Amino acid sequence: MELITVSRRQGLAFSVRLRGHEILTDMSPAEGGRDEGCNPVEMLAGTLGPCLAIMSQRFCDARGYRDGDVAVSLTAELADDPKRVMAFTVDVQLPRDVPAADREELSRMVGSFPIPATLREVPRLDVEFT
Amino acid sequence: METTLGGKAVEIDEDGFIQDPAAWDEAVARDLALTESVENLTEEHWKVVNYLRNYYLEYNMAPMIRKLCKETGFKLKEIYDLFPSGPAKGACKVAGLPKPTGCV
Repeated sequence: MELITVSRRQGLAFSVRLRGHEILTDMSPAEGGRDEGCNPVEMLAGTLGPCLAIMSQRFCDARGYRDGDVAVSLTAELADDPKRVMAFTVDVQLPRDVPAADREELSRMVGSFPIPATLREVPRLDVEFT
Repeated sequence: METTLGGKAVEIDEDGFIQDPAAWDEAVARDLALTESVENLTEEHWKVVNYLRNYYLEYNMAPMIRKLCKETGFKLKEIYDLFPSGPAKGACKVAGLPKPTGCV
């Protein structure tokens, strides 16, 4: 993976740059920011959504299901001590011509998609402050 | 802080959640809904509100969102269509539940 850099714009707004793309993150005014971008927790949820969407769309494309597009709605439930995401609730809307058997197969495959698999296996986190 | 909801004085926190669950009634719910940009509580709104309130009164906690969806029959997006702030900050507030935990 190429290097991801995060640099301050102003206040609590930070720019995330990777492979020529840029994403702006910030906190809400209630949290001391100016809401100029998604906050990091929202970005985490936003990462899960596209992963599920892309993998599901690939599945549907491979099987020729074309009566509609894949769409995802999701939200995160939060907890304290420590502050964290305690649950993601995700609805994945599939093309209308996907039969029940394939919906069930996708349900079984979800755990092997990159982001869900990462959330399940909990990667090592190595942070050094300089 | 104190405010008027449903025609009576009610204590709320900085985010508008009522502090005493016993102070809730349907008139309070209607005024709380206005603070959530919900002008009129429809039968669908009440289905969500009543489920949340009954669950809270029985278990002293809010249900997980998936359970809310399953028991009310609404998809996640439909819950957000009814309560734009979402099931935690929006629907739970209107139902008179305590503010949900978490940071953002």
